Amino acid sequence: MKVLIVEDEKTLAYEMEAFLKKSFYQCDIALTFRAGLEQLELNNYDFILIDLSLPDGDGLEILKKAKINNPDAAYIIITARTNLKDRVSGLDLGADDYLPKPFYLLELQSRMQAIARRKFNISEELLSIGEFHINLPKRLVLFEQEQIELSRKEFDLFSYLLLHKNRVLTRGQLSEHIWGTFVKDDYDSNYIDAHIKNIRKKLNVWADTEWLETVRGVGYRIKK
Amino acid sequence: MKLSTKLTLFITGSKLVIVLLFVLALPFLIKEIASEYTNYTLKQQRKKVLTIVNKNGPDYYFQGDDNYGSYTILKEEFIALLPVDASLKLDTIKNSQRLIESDTLNYRVLSYTFKNKNKNYLLEIGKATTSINQYNNPLQRFALYLLITLIALTILIDLTFIRVLIRPLGKIIKTRLINRRFPFKEGQKRIETSTADFKYLDESLILLMSQINEAFHKEREFTSNASHELMTPISILQNKMENLLAEEALDEPSSMAIIEMMKTVDRLKNITSSLLLISRIENEQYIRKEQVQPLQLFNEIVEEISHRLEEKQIQISLNISPQAVLKGVNKDLLFQLFFNLIHNAIKFNRDKGNIFINDSYLNNGAYEITIRDTGIGIPKEDLPNIFDRFMKTNLEGDVGYGLGLAIVKSIAMYHQIQIDVKSNLNEGTTFSILFPLSSV
Repeated sequence: MKVLIVEDEKTLAYEMEAFLKKSFYQCDIALTFRAGLEQLELNNYDFILIDLSLPDGDGLEILKKAKINNPDAAYIIITARTNLKDRVSGLDLGADDYLPKPFYLLELQSRMQAIARRKFNISEELLSIGEFHINLPKRLVLFEQEQIELSRKEFDLFSYLLLHKNRVLTRGQLSEHIWGTFVKDDYDSNYIDAHIKNIRKKLNVWADTEWLETVRGVGYRIKK
Repeated sequence: MKLSTKLTLFITGSKLVIVLLFVLALPFLIKEIASEYTNYTLKQQRKKVLTIVNKNGPDYYFQGDDNYGSYTILKEEFIALLPVDASLKLDTIKNSQRLIESDTLNYRVLSYTFKNKNKNYLLEIGKATTSINQYNNPLQRFALYLLITLIALTILIDLTFIRVLIRPLGKIIKTRLINRRFPFKEGQKRIETSTADFKYLDESLILLMSQINEAFHKEREFTSNASHELMTPISILQNKMENLLAEEALDEPSSMAIIEMMKTVDRLKNITSSLLLISRIENEQYIRKEQVQPLQLFNEIVEEISHRLEEKQIQISLNISPQAVLKGVNKDLLFQLFFNLIHNAIKFNRDKGNIFINDSYLNNGAYEITIRDTGIGIPKEDLPNIFDRFMKTNLEGDVGYGLGLAIVKSIAMYHQIQIDVKSNLNEGTTFSILFPLSSV
């Protein structure tokens, strides 16, 4: 899939590119408003990531113009300007998602996957691990026909790990996914561990969960 | 005591003292005046008699008798002229008794000896003391009434003038000082007064307020700008480390080091986001249009935080009326407010402690929620500062950044919520959250 990154902060743009390349996205980078518009006229993209505060123009303008040439693309607004007005006008103009800086690249990728599932009808909605089946849109975890009660955060955590299986997710990445921009006053809290403990406890009643691994000092991984 | 009350009391009091002094002195004064006046009359009469005697000789009075005496019908006045021994010399005015036709009466008597053709005569003119004092009482009464009327009049004039004079001060106090809410209103009108002192006071207050406002806005702007500007570098750090960690060639110690660095960046990110959140609330970037059922909100929070309750085996008793609804609020912000308070109630609780969450409607219809814990409590001297940024009163264990309650405070101010804290060391802390009538 083709991605255009419109971001004036060079280092950040390159980091995003490096991360997304590993997941087989093809990336173009535009460091200015003008370059962004040029790229949009030349190419078709599946994803367009737009930073709102560019030195030579407003990212929202790019969004407006890009919609004309690239109506089917998915748009994600990325910005440090986290005020509500920008967010609302961004979504009004047809952005698919809005990601405030700073964010984990994993979260960006996962949002892109979610949009792709929705927009391009990629059926990743029924997942399975071990003897469990997960229905993403209905937010259900099933063992055979039996429904397992997970709390909202537990389900978010479990499905996130599953969508990024075979990959170690750090506590920071997990925490950002389930809490988003919600501000927490603790820097070293172990609530992710507590949630994982609960998930294991609830699933272990039905079957083994050794595929949910703790990676010491780093985080967690679902191995398949 | 208010200045106007003080002035009124002082003016009335001082005038009453003057009246009292005058009333006490009045009988004495009147008596003195009467006696002075009597002396004067007696002397005048003596002068007249002497003039006649000098002109016509004593025989004008004697008419053949060897002395002369005369008195008025009611014996109020008498006059006597008689020859006396040459050695007697008198010139006095004093009170003494005289026997007149078998009546002994008190008189003020002028006794005066004078020579006429080598003979010594004694002239006595008397005035009955009763007749001297007969005007004293009416005079006293009249003087008293006059004085009281005058004093009352001056008090009235004084008080009216004072009221007019200090009215601008009252206005200054009412519009500038009472019920001040921060930040102060901009562009306040000057109070009209011709008194230079009040003008100065008013202008200084307006100036001070606008200076405080300016400092406040600058601080706000700084926090907002600083946290915004920090977001991009934090972003870069975070993403660089994330990419670095995914390198397959990385050995374990290096990845551990990166994880530690990421934790630190996370901490930096959280502090910056907290500051940004506060500054966004202060800049009113959130919409207050939602309806929230407190019970539902608390159920959500308790679900989010249940693992913490289990960890410390804390019992939470939620006693919130299911009908309660809050209007014109921001749900996410209220969630954050109560989350932070309950989070603290757990963090600073003892193991197997309790948290009680209750609500009630006050007599005036306002809605209040109280959150009480059985934790370590807050020392009295720290209570006024707990809502300050980066204030950490308890330094045991995991203390956080000290921004949790600062966020609570800014959310509360934004919703005009009043928060009251009571705490007893080692017994626990109670937060009372009082919603304004407009959200009920």
